[in-house]
Parts: sequence; C-alpha cells; structure tokens
Amino acid sequence: MLQCIVVTPERTVFDRPAEFVALTLYDGEIGVAPEHAPMIGRLGCGEMRVVNQGQTERYYIEGGFVEVLGDVVSVLTRRAAAASEIDEAVVGEQLSAARARPATTPEAIQIRDRAIAQARAQLRICRRT
Amino acid sequence: MAKARVLDRRRKSIRGIRKITRTMELISTAQFKRAMNRATAAAAYTRRITALVGHLARSGLEVSHPLLEPRPEPKQATLLVLSANRGMCAGYNAGVLRQAVTRYNELANVASEVSLEVVGKRGISAFRFRKIPIDEAFTHFEDRPSFAEVDVLAERYLQDFTAGRLDRLDVAFTRFESASHRQAVVETLLPLGSLQGAEDKAPARETQYEFLPSAASILDEVVPMSFRVRLFKCFLDAAVSEQIARMVAMKTATENADGMISHLSMAYNRARQGQITGELLEIIGGADALNG
Repeated sequence: MLQCIVVTPERTVFDRPAEFVALTLYDGEIGVAPEHAPMIGRLGCGEMRVVNQGQTERYYIEGGFVEVLGDVVSVLTRRAAAASEIDEAVVGEQLSAARARPATTPEAIQIRDRAIAQARAQLRICRRT
Repeated sequence: MAKARVLDRRRKSIRGIRKITRTMELISTAQFKRAMNRATAAAAYTRRITALVGHLARSGLEVSHPLLEPRPEPKQATLLVLSANRGMCAGYNAGVLRQAVTRYNELANVASEVSLEVVGKRGISAFRFRKIPIDEAFTHFEDRPSFAEVDVLAERYLQDFTAGRLDRLDVAFTRFESASHRQAVVETLLPLGSLQGAEDKAPARETQYEFLPSAASILDEVVPMSFRVRLFKCFLDAAVSEQIARMVAMKTATENADGMISHLSMAYNRARQGQITGELLEIIGGADALNG
C-alpha cells in the first residue's frame, strides 16, 4: 500500500492510503505503484488519479513537485482540487479570457501560455466525467 | 443629586465601552484561532519543501540559483510593510512601522531607488503622515490572506528581480513566535541568501533518487517556490500576530473598564450616601427648630 499525501501552501489537502497513484509530470504521465524507486519529479498541470480499493478519485493539480520515498508519495503543489469541484463554465471563461489577453513581450506570452495550459488541463478533467 | 447623577452617567457609558471591548475580544479570539489553524496547516508545506531541498543537496547537487546570489551594490530596493487595516491592537502597527521607517532610511542611503509598498490602511496613513511617498498600497489583504493573492505579489517580485528591475526586497512584518511572544522584524527575502535544508550535507543513509527531468531543473523550480512560500508565511504570521495583539489589547481594555466601573460605583454610592445624610441633617435640624 502507498501513502499518498497532497500538500498545498495553504493546507494539507489529503493524506490517505492508496494502491496506485497516477500523476502528470512536466512532460507526461507517471504511474506510481508500491515499491517504486525513490524519485523526485517536477509536476505539470493536469490530472492526478488516486486508486484505492477499486475506487478512482480524480484531482486537478497545478505544478509543483512529487517525491516518492519508500511507500510515501508526497505531492507539493500550488493548487489541488477534486475533479467534481471544477466548474466547467468558470474554467471556460478563464480560457477565453486568457486567450484574449494581449501579449507582446516574451514574458507576457509565457504568462498567457501558462494560463491557457492551466485552463485547458482543467477543462480536460471536467469533460472526462 | 447633581454629583451622583454625573457619576452614574459616566458609569453607564463605561459599561457600554466594556460591552464593546468584550465583544471585540471574543471576536478576535475566534479569528485568532482560525488564523492559527491556517498557519499550522501551511507549515506542512514548508516542512516538506525543506526536506526536499535537503534531499537535493545530499544528492551532491550544488545549490545555486540567481535568486540565492547576493547582489553587492543594490540599486533598486523595495520595502514591503505588512500592517493592519484596523487599529485597536495596542503596539502592533506602531512596532512594525518603527522597524519599517528605520529600514527605509537605511535603504535610502544604500540604494539609489527605494520603492515602498504598504499593506493595510494603518500603515498607509502613517507613511502619508510622515510624508514618505508610497508606490503601491494594498488594503485587500484581510484577516485571511490566501496563497493566490500573495502569489500575485510574489510573481511580480520574481519577474522584477530576474529582469534586474529589483535588487533587494525587504519585508517588515510581525513575526509570530509563540502566543505570548511576537516581534516586529524586517527580513530580506530577495536575494534569498540560502535555502533552508541546503546546508544539511549529512550523508545519511544514502538514497539514490531518480530525478525527473534533472536535479538542476527541479532546483530551478524549488527556489522560486520557496520564495513564494516564505512571502506567504510573512503574511500568515502578520495575520496571526494582529489577532493576538488585538485580543490582548481588548482583554486589557475590558479589565480596565471593570476596574473603572467598580471605582465609579464606590464614588457614586458614597456621593448618594452623603446626600442622604445631608438631607437627614436638614430634616432633623428643621424639626429641632420647630420644637425649640
């Protein structure tokens, strides 16, 4: 069994046992099962799935790090929300607002792209339910 | 009857004040508990990120990052002052402002440009009174600052620092040490100087980590994140300290009001008694004159 701990700067979102955890890294998805090798990874924006007793729970996580040591998976992220908490309409608005934002400097473009990527990742999670 | 009535009126108004201070004490006690819970909940992240940095350092990675390197001759400095939106909290605002003004003058000597950013109405009016120009003022941070709100500020500082528009960031706030001990301090947050946990070089039972994508890339992300979290912690500490300061101040005020009420009650009773005695004497005197 794994122990999955998700922490944001504001609080510990949850700390509970899991059989399997799937996470979005900066460039793709990774699955963590018990007896995983020690690992520190950079997270991207996307879905996290926690499987426990046949039940899959889905969360949206926004960047940060994951550390696997022994059978403890610690996820440090800026924001974590259960898939059911995400409102598709609100995220859709965020996406169109981000798209409409003028970006003329390289930094502004970077910020805009990040906002778009975050909104899209949330939309994908909403639509999968 | 005049003197006794005046005393009674004063006693009544002090009872009214006592009611208000007592209510404020109760409110700030509740808010303090809430703020305290938030601060403890937030400590988990700091603990974990410190452990993560320790693991990175132990894997033989040289911990270096532009944000950590000191800049010998700062040109542009920013001072961020965290004060309260409301008063009634004893020396809380005064303490922070005293530290802030001293540091402001020091910075003005060292750096060519100092910009002042103030959070909280009390701080804003104090600097306005001293005729020190404020570059940015914020009043939207209430008793419960959220990470997202603070992150907006952190993001701007990080961008300015990397772009060379900012060489030094100091934050004046009240550090929360324990329920009975708080201290107004000024901390330099940029450059960060060192990461907590980075000095931990002890070759504890070596765990070989796999880094995805690489230790250096993770460090690139960890350093700005530590800065954000430290700035957030300053806000949380300030919020907790403010509530404690208000709680203590209002408790004292309530006790003082109690003392005053009992003092006035005594004076009032004495005045009333004196008046009754006076009236009795008059009656007796009158009766004696009739009999005599």
